Amino acid sequence: MTGYHRARRLLLAALTPVFVLGLAACSDVPNTIFGAHSEFGHEIDSLTYRLLILGGLVFVLVEGLLIFVLIKFRARPGNPEPKQTHGNTTLEVTWTLIPAVILAFIAVPTIKTIFKTQAPAPANALQVEVIGHQWWWEFRYPQYQVVTANELYLPVGRTINFHLKTNDVIHSFWIPQLGGKRDLVSNRTNYLWFTPDSSYAWNGFCAEYCGASHSNMRFKVFTVSPQQFEAYIAHQKTGPAFAAAGAPVPGADTSKKGAASPAGQVAAAAPTTPAPAAEGADGIWPRDRVPKWLIPETPTPAGLTISTVNGDPARGAQLFKTGACIGCHTIQGVSPGVIGPNLTHVGSRYTIAGGLYPNDMKHLALWIKDAPAMKPGSIMPAMGKGLPHAMGAYDDQQIADIAAYLSSLK
Amino acid sequence: MATTVAAPPFAGTKRKYESGLWSWLATTDHKRIGQLYLYTALTWFLVGGLEAAIIRTQLYGPNGRVVSAETYNQLFTMHGLSMIFLAIMPLSAAFFNFLIPLQIGARDVAFPRLNAFSYWVFLFGSLVLNASWLFHAAPNGGWFGYAPLSTPQFSPGLNMDFYVVGLQILGVSTLAAGFNFVTTVINMRAPGMHFMRMPVFTWAAFVTQFLIILSFPIITVAITFLLFDRFFGTNFYEISAGADPLLWQHLFWLFGHPEVYILVLPAFGLVSEVLPTFSRKPLFGYPVMVYSLILIAFLGFGVWAHHMFAVGMGPVADSIFGITTMLIAIPTGVKIFNWLGTMWGGSLRFTTACMFAIGLVGLFTIGGISGVMHSSPPSDLQQTDSYFIVAHFHYVLFGGSMMGLFAGIYYYFPKMTGRLMSETLGKWHFWLTFIGMNLTFFPMHFAGLDGMPRRIWSYDNNQGWNLDNHLSTIGAYILVVATAIFVVNLLRSRKSGQRAGNDPWGAPTIEWSIPSPPPEYNFARIPTVTSRYPMWDAKAPHLTSGVPHSKEGEKEITVSMAGKPTGHISTPSDVEMNAEDVHPSAESLGIHMPTPTIKPMVAAFALTIPFIGLMWHKSLPVILLGAVFFAVTLYAWLLTPVEPEH
Amino acid sequence: MASAAVADAHAEHHYTSTGLSSTKIAIWAFIGSECFFFASLISTYLIYKGRSVVGPFPHEAWTNPATGQHFKAILNIPVTSASTFVLLMSSLAMVLAHSAVVRGDRKYSKIWLAMTALLGATFLGFQAYEFTSFVHEGLTIKTNLFGSSFFILTGFHGAHVTAGVLWLMTLLFIDMKRGLGPRDAINVDICALYWHFVDVVWIAIFTLVYLIQ
Repeated sequence: MTGYHRARRLLLAALTPVFVLGLAACSDVPNTIFGAHSEFGHEIDSLTYRLLILGGLVFVLVEGLLIFVLIKFRARPGNPEPKQTHGNTTLEVTWTLIPAVILAFIAVPTIKTIFKTQAPAPANALQVEVIGHQWWWEFRYPQYQVVTANELYLPVGRTINFHLKTNDVIHSFWIPQLGGKRDLVSNRTNYLWFTPDSSYAWNGFCAEYCGASHSNMRFKVFTVSPQQFEAYIAHQKTGPAFAAAGAPVPGADTSKKGAASPAGQVAAAAPTTPAPAAEGADGIWPRDRVPKWLIPETPTPAGLTISTVNGDPARGAQLFKTGACIGCHTIQGVSPGVIGPNLTHVGSRYTIAGGLYPNDMKHLALWIKDAPAMKPGSIMPAMGKGLPHAMGAYDDQQIADIAAYLSSLK
Repeated sequence: MATTVAAPPFAGTKRKYESGLWSWLATTDHKRIGQLYLYTALTWFLVGGLEAAIIRTQLYGPNGRVVSAETYNQLFTMHGLSMIFLAIMPLSAAFFNFLIPLQIGARDVAFPRLNAFSYWVFLFGSLVLNASWLFHAAPNGGWFGYAPLSTPQFSPGLNMDFYVVGLQILGVSTLAAGFNFVTTVINMRAPGMHFMRMPVFTWAAFVTQFLIILSFPIITVAITFLLFDRFFGTNFYEISAGADPLLWQHLFWLFGHPEVYILVLPAFGLVSEVLPTFSRKPLFGYPVMVYSLILIAFLGFGVWAHHMFAVGMGPVADSIFGITTMLIAIPTGVKIFNWLGTMWGGSLRFTTACMFAIGLVGLFTIGGISGVMHSSPPSDLQQTDSYFIVAHFHYVLFGGSMMGLFAGIYYYFPKMTGRLMSETLGKWHFWLTFIGMNLTFFPMHFAGLDGMPRRIWSYDNNQGWNLDNHLSTIGAYILVVATAIFVVNLLRSRKSGQRAGNDPWGAPTIEWSIPSPPPEYNFARIPTVTSRYPMWDAKAPHLTSGVPHSKEGEKEITVSMAGKPTGHISTPSDVEMNAEDVHPSAESLGIHMPTPTIKPMVAAFALTIPFIGLMWHKSLPVILLGAVFFAVTLYAWLLTPVEPEH
Repeated sequence: MASAAVADAHAEHHYTSTGLSSTKIAIWAFIGSECFFFASLISTYLIYKGRSVVGPFPHEAWTNPATGQHFKAILNIPVTSASTFVLLMSSLAMVLAHSAVVRGDRKYSKIWLAMTALLGATFLGFQAYEFTSFVHEGLTIKTNLFGSSFFILTGFHGAHVTAGVLWLMTLLFIDMKRGLGPRDAINVDICALYWHFVDVVWIAIFTLVYLIQ
């Protein structure tokens, strides 16, 4: 906990007993806006603290006065008729001026902060295009020709200039721990820039209501060292790992066995197989440093099951290339689709479906089988055989094959 | 002045005009229309509350699956629409109707039949909007229906059709009422009722009407564009045609922010009536209270873009709207301090009405403080569209508007029905509401500051939001219990509440000089007003200091009034009273009242037909027949004189 | 709502605070509201000016790059100037009609009411001609942002003129049936207020939409 966080707690705890209840709720607050980790976040924080302190003073003053009045001037038997006052100009002028002065103390730093945070980004900033889709995020690094989805890697200490666009309706890009939000408005490009100051993993959300699965439009952000970022970019620029290695990586339902997994198992689950030597070299955030609140616990829909999660990646690759998948998804060197997320390195992500499910064989297979059931309104059709409105007709084994193939795309 | 005896029993004297369904359908009496508004709005308040309860149940724990995402989206949209357009606004309208003519000393509003028309249009519009549930297609785009999500491309289906059509119909009702009340206040004031002698509720209502007639045309235009986009293929919000989705946002919030004051100013007005009465002191700084109302309304038109700090308007626009928003806090703060000044030095009687009024002062302050936090655009970037905002506007709309309206209901119920509401149940209602309200909405501040976005159907475990949401849901259930108590109190008190008499509270304004419930003509003789507090001037203040809520108190006042020259205020002449009829009839007093007529109701019904035709596959015959039907009823209505020939 | 106010004034024979008729105050409130209505429509037109991605356009010619089809500039300013003149003249006729009713001149009240309605109808005829020719030239309500905002703005103005013409014809009908005298002056007066307002709005539209390029 930062000093800011403590200060805020002390301040607010003094305000109202209800806060005590709130405190308990704040015992583990991964997405708090306080103690942000960028200069943008710090600017906002310092304004917010000022507002909280001044607001707290007004709160104490007004509510204290109110309670005093209620006790002191309650009707008691034998009270004389109150003095019939109609007003007091001096008093009224005073309590017009006091708020005005308080507001001046807010207005001046507000304007300063507005112009500071909305100035053009530094010329050497890392450019990142953020494109909102119903209901997932596309991230592009135009300086590096890298395209990815739902998981964003940013270098610490370098200013990042986000170009915010949307493919459909209005969304809003928000990483509470890194600063304020900005909307993605159709037919417009918005900008937002900040410089992450520490290396960690963060949750991001869509903050503007955008339709059926607004609540399921999340993303993850990893702020990494410049070296790791370079490694990440270099790795992302290469083709899919499967094509490169040419060797299948057997998938397994690790959530049951607690054994090695291609991806998606939390450090807490203590993978028995040591991570491949490549880890670190590919710039991917190390599994043992993934905080537990980063991995979703969303339950899968009742009644949706898959009979096997042991697939053959090679068969899966064949199915992918000859199936409907290529119409929507890009895998570098394999398929050109642009409707859904780029899957070139999908195996190296921790989550799927817009941060809604952990990226493991079971969830991946269920997702392929019946995406609309997994995520309300999903534009990706169900691919499982015999399902209502299914676009594909894959049996569970074929689905497991495709999932195994995708998992192998490190 | 008339001599009088102890107040005779008012019940049991049924008159033809007072009974039967027909009399309600055909009424043009502002007091009955006010009650129609009241009970209709309370019904929708219960529906909106039920929607909220389901929402809170879904959000009780992480990854809730009580309702589907689609149903959830419909629920929160309809909760917002119900509470804003079908509960709080019409509850305010109930008071506009019932009170404005009584407070300014008029027999009715300026256009009684137009008034009936407003109510019926409201009723039919609210039914159309809620009929969407029957099709499982309630609006699902959020109450501010942002384009392009609301366009046919992203919202095919009937959902947003109901939104467009429902709001369009409701807008007609609100505008018609707005013109009516503006005219009423300007033109129907009793002799001597100068503007600066008007009761503050009437002032608040008057200012609100200006907000309505100037802001509703803007939403009408925004919704007309959406209607044409949805039904006739225009391009106003069509992204591929180059449309700018911010057009909708600007138009919507140009209406939407004045709307916030439309929702809260009437409650401010009611509290400004209640607090002086129960403090036994005049309102502190009456002129400043009036000027601050006007200033709030004026500034209210210049702050709309503070709802849009995250859309990227640029630093100049952000600064301007940030500053104007901060400015609006000044007149609002003045009101809070003047209410405190009113209570200061008073002799406070904690009736239920007074407690709700005090509740507004205390709780609205919290909403105001968080409001100032949003006025700073950079700070707002961390708060907007999070649960912090949800907490903020519920403190403003529940802690502000609803608390004020509850105060008004407890305070004016005796004037409407002649009976007092139960104080015991009322206090249960107040305390449970107060606790439940804070328990529901205060933790939302924390959820928001801890990064919980608003309008999410479910949230994940381990995000630090679980306890906040548990508490909110428990609070919401307490509110359900509180509201149930209120409903029981209301229904029971209507039948068997203690008799109120003319003036159960020892109140200062002229509506308390006439019987409860008032006769159809309100004032037997139009009073001549010479001060802001005629009732207190008329009676020696010490006589009202110990008024209990009982019939004995009533006798005491009446006798005293008769015994003293009341001087400034005329009370209804009781000379002609007889055993059969408590109030002399309008005819016997030579007062011409409007003839009851159902034409306004038929016209209102006809007005909704073209809209229904529009939704029903754009059926041209239905639209045309409806339009012709409407024109015919309108002519039939307008060519009939409002009163019998005399 | 304006028309609803016509015969609905409860206060007509009663005391009023201002001494004015309630209908007159109501129509002023209505006009204030209408100002915001038309201001929103006109602002939208202006905001969307130049944002259309395809033609035809109001003031400049356009060739469809896909089909090679050529479109002239759409707005026909000479014709609209004529219709504007007609509408302005109708306001003059309205003034004369009102003054005839006030002085109880049955003959001229009918003539000028009829003339006002006729000029209003002529304006509507011009508008019908304009709309049809635009559609023939390839501009509909669906074509582009210009088409949508133009037709909705001028269409709603036309609807207001239509309502005004119906109102005038109703007054004319009453005049012919029982004669309008000085005691009806208020009803003609509020109709005139509405009519002049609709005229003024047209001047704003004509200037901002047609004349300014």
